[in-house]
Amino acid sequence: MEIPYYDKERPDTGLYNGKAGIWLFLASEVMLFGALFSAYVLLRVGAEPGTWSMGLMNQWVGAFNTLILIASSATIVMAWVCLKLNDWKGFRKWKWATVIFAFTFLVVKWSYEWPAKFTHYDVTFVTEESASKVYTDVLGPEFSETQSKIWQERFDPLKKDQEKSPLAQVKLKDKPLDGHIVGYIDSDGVEHEVGAAWGIPFWSHAFAWRHDRKNIEKEKDKSIRYGEDGRPVYKEGHFRDTFRDKDIKAIIFVPAHGTWDREEKHAGSGAIKYAEAKHDAGHAHSEGHGHTITIAREDISRLSSYEPAHSTFFATYYTLTGLHALHVLGGILVMLYHLLPVSRRVYEKNPVQFTNRIEITGLFWHFVDLVWIFLFPILYLL
Amino acid sequence: MSDEHSPEYYKKKFIPLIYLVGGILIVGTIITFAADKMGIAERWGFVNAIIFAMSVAVVKASAVIYIFMHLKWDIKLKTISLTLGCTVIFFIGMMWLTVGSEIDSNKPGHSDNTWNHVTEPEPETAPETK
Amino acid sequence: METTTQPEAEHGEHNDDHSHGHAEQSFFTKYIFSTDHKVIGIQYGVGALVFLLMGFILIMGMRWQMAKPDTPVPVLGPILEKVYAHEIALDGQGKTVPIFKDGKITASGYNQFGAMHGTIMVFLAIVPLGFAAFGNYVVPLQIGAPDMCFPRVNMASFWAFFAGCTVMTVSFFIPGGAAQAGWTSYSPLASVIPTDGQTYWLVGMVLLITSSLLGAVNFIATIIQLRAPGMTWFRMPFFVWAQFVTAFLLLLAFPPLEAAGIMQLMDRVCDTSFFLPSGVFASGTEPMNVSGGGSPLLWQHLFWFLGHPEVYVLILPAIGIVTEIISNNTRRPIWGYRLMVGSLLVLGFLSFIVWAHHMYLTGMSSKVATFFQTTTMIISIPSVILLTCLFMSLWRGSIRFNTPSMFALAFLPMFGIGGLTGLPLGFNFTDLHLHDSYYVIAHFHYVVAPGSIFALFAGIYYWFPKMTGRRMSEYWGKVHFWGSLIFMNIIFMPMFIQGFAGMSRRMSDGGATYSMINNPDVTSGALTDQVMSLNSLITMGAFGMGLVQIVFIVNFFWSIRNGEKTNSDNPWKATTLEWQTPTPPPHGNFLEQPKTYHGPYEYSNPDVDNGKGFLAQNDPHKSVSEEQKEAEA
Repeated sequence: MEIPYYDKERPDTGLYNGKAGIWLFLASEVMLFGALFSAYVLLRVGAEPGTWSMGLMNQWVGAFNTLILIASSATIVMAWVCLKLNDWKGFRKWKWATVIFAFTFLVVKWSYEWPAKFTHYDVTFVTEESASKVYTDVLGPEFSETQSKIWQERFDPLKKDQEKSPLAQVKLKDKPLDGHIVGYIDSDGVEHEVGAAWGIPFWSHAFAWRHDRKNIEKEKDKSIRYGEDGRPVYKEGHFRDTFRDKDIKAIIFVPAHGTWDREEKHAGSGAIKYAEAKHDAGHAHSEGHGHTITIAREDISRLSSYEPAHSTFFATYYTLTGLHALHVLGGILVMLYHLLPVSRRVYEKNPVQFTNRIEITGLFWHFVDLVWIFLFPILYLL
Repeated sequence: MSDEHSPEYYKKKFIPLIYLVGGILIVGTIITFAADKMGIAERWGFVNAIIFAMSVAVVKASAVIYIFMHLKWDIKLKTISLTLGCTVIFFIGMMWLTVGSEIDSNKPGHSDNTWNHVTEPEPETAPETK
Repeated sequence: METTTQPEAEHGEHNDDHSHGHAEQSFFTKYIFSTDHKVIGIQYGVGALVFLLMGFILIMGMRWQMAKPDTPVPVLGPILEKVYAHEIALDGQGKTVPIFKDGKITASGYNQFGAMHGTIMVFLAIVPLGFAAFGNYVVPLQIGAPDMCFPRVNMASFWAFFAGCTVMTVSFFIPGGAAQAGWTSYSPLASVIPTDGQTYWLVGMVLLITSSLLGAVNFIATIIQLRAPGMTWFRMPFFVWAQFVTAFLLLLAFPPLEAAGIMQLMDRVCDTSFFLPSGVFASGTEPMNVSGGGSPLLWQHLFWFLGHPEVYVLILPAIGIVTEIISNNTRRPIWGYRLMVGSLLVLGFLSFIVWAHHMYLTGMSSKVATFFQTTTMIISIPSVILLTCLFMSLWRGSIRFNTPSMFALAFLPMFGIGGLTGLPLGFNFTDLHLHDSYYVIAHFHYVVAPGSIFALFAGIYYWFPKMTGRRMSEYWGKVHFWGSLIFMNIIFMPMFIQGFAGMSRRMSDGGATYSMINNPDVTSGALTDQVMSLNSLITMGAFGMGLVQIVFIVNFFWSIRNGEKTNSDNPWKATTLEWQTPTPPPHGNFLEQPKTYHGPYEYSNPDVDNGKGFLAQNDPHKSVSEEQKEAEA
């Protein structure tokens, strides 16, 4: 039993089956990403003043990734054209180029961009006194003006109606201090280096703790056992690897903004320079360098890395780029399949069918590129 | 794909077209990036910056859709342009509706200060008459 | 002229050309991992019917609780308590609440049953039955195609559905039980509730949505690409048009819910705050340790953006089935076929811009509310046109009263009641009083239960002979019909009265907290005794309904083996292509590709003189005299 119009186009529609199918699928994907984009717009418009940070994205990396994806888009069309011209070797050359570009995109995103964010922390304080205590440490006596300026750059670069602006009402304690955690001090006064998970020295208040659920003690009826302090009890030797449940009295912190030097006055130059911080990250310091400060736990209201839980901006950012990256990964897997030896046999048996498969893959790939074309300005630039 | 294109067409016309589109995409990216670095949001206002960036994005997207995705030759130009245009209008309309339903100014009793981020006290409701 | 009774020799020759299809298939590839649309249709159908029953059992438990609030469930209560009692619903920090206690359903259990009843009925029963089961089986046959456009994607769609169903079912048996936040899963509750069942619900939904998306792509591509020669768009049976529009609704409306589901999953698993506003308290005295800044309304918008097209997904296949059956059993064409197709397309488009009528009470501005009110009123027009055309199709018909036609005829007034009672809900000012009351429940159940489900029953009785070669028992079919009709109305009509009286939805004690008996000093607004007494009436109706369904279940299974054999491939004397194939249709459906010459409802055409009273779509001859002329020529 043959399904008609598998390779041949149907005269009145001009489509073969696969092409009709992929365009329909792309329509649904447009709705999927459209919903996420509209969620972004809604959340952005509705955000409380002082909660939506701008200028935290590294735009140069984003632009590089954009150019890579554009190149991969062009190369996959070239691959298809080669097949139409019966040039097998040309096809393979361009297809490999596409795969390499796509892979580079993922490598940049998943091994540089995201991990860099997971190791960078924001600290907000419990009271104005605790905030000013820490800030004096870092910024010196005239800290409040400098910090406010830095904060203004981050949360309201356009400075609309500054006098009336409620941003002016945001207190110092809620203006986050950002930087890296390099160690902590426990209740016995012993200093420890920051633990690493999966080789990455990230130590989030939210992300890692989910994995400790299996180490929580349970009652007979499978409910969680709570201790006298109202917190879950952990099995012997296991801890929740987060700030809240470790025995921490103070953290050793390397602030970024002390070296945060913005060349331009406006948002968008998100190249946070933490030259000294980068140098220090991963090693514990207690004396001498002068770039670390110690923040007592009781002074900290909220500690969070730039992870999804940090703010709705990051939540949306990770969801959008994460879903996009999964589509890129899917595309890479399909393209690798087309580069396997078996594809030569399919091509030889039925060149039209194979060419059509590449065309369909190309259509999917261009859609992925289209999403990024809109993602880049919205997330990185605006 | 039917044989609308002969091999010569591919070599002479289509491949240069691919490079052209690639060029458009790269140039578009540079334009948007440079505009942002030069402070378009400060000079022209936030809303205009969005309009500018989205227009450039639409130009890039159109190049990809019509040429890379081959729609210029696959369907009548009118049909696809109309469909895409309607989709864009639909999307903008949906956003207007949903965001509009949340903007304070549209709620009874408030005035428009969303973009100024001024927190007004909630308007008083009529006192209980009992 | 029959294409159905080709001699064996032709059949054999015809198949030598094909490389696949008639090689011996193993049991697994033939019945379990089949790519044949008919097998997949039956798989979907049986699965959906099982879940229809399961959803019904859940509501029977809930109705018991409402009619007799502190009475243990008879017979099953102690059994269920043993099976289910070790699963404890977590309630904040460390406090636990059982689902069954002393054989009684607790409030937490009631919530779970309620949420899962809605989810199961909508996503695991009606959509798979109406769209996937009937669509898969009938649509390729009706357009003359050998199978669906992408048979393997079709199979993948079924197994994704199966996986989603498994996750939903398993969620009952994990600690904490199933989802509790309603079938609408509103945040913040759904984002903060500590039971894993809510997460399972989201994962299950993602799987089900994937299944529907794959199916929708398949349907649209099949209808566009695989229509047989001569099968033009306006010769397609209306059922195919209905499935086409339904597929588009699923294709375009489901992805936003998938996006929202992913976001809610991230809220639950990664502590994001997509839907959690700043300063939200879950339990205890401190605000939750999340970033805040999210919007619960965002979830509502995204959910109802799907939610509204979803209800059209529930009803359109049903209208399609009813159209087929009415035309067949009145022996006349449908009145206004083109008008109905136009209405269908307009309805499909409009269904995307009415969603916020589910959100009138969220504090939206009057400008926005007016917009949605207007579009909601406009969308009632195509629905009325569809119903009117169907009513008009009865005029001057020679109506046959068999089981399918009775269900189809009953659909018309029931759907009418459902639709008309929707009007007060569509207006902002009346919705103020009726929102989230029993009136809403009555309205949508009238459309879906004596509406869609009757049409689906009709479809089962109608297409049963084609699938099995036997008829279901007419007598017991009519018993099933009358019982269902009477009990449906007993169940849902009183709910209108309860809704007007102000009785709210989702109250596990049946409104006892707000009744006059329990609030003697309240002078107005409490629920009267009459209103409360309706609870018992409704519950009795529900149990009666359950009994009548046993008749159907027995009839269904018994008739597969022992039903009266049909002597022809076309026992209903229908015109559409699915009746012009062998029974049951072989792999590849048609012995040779059918060519279509006529429209879909050529019944009792005075110009047709073939002695049969109808003209099959693929019949090249119109009349006996034409045939004679050709023979002479």
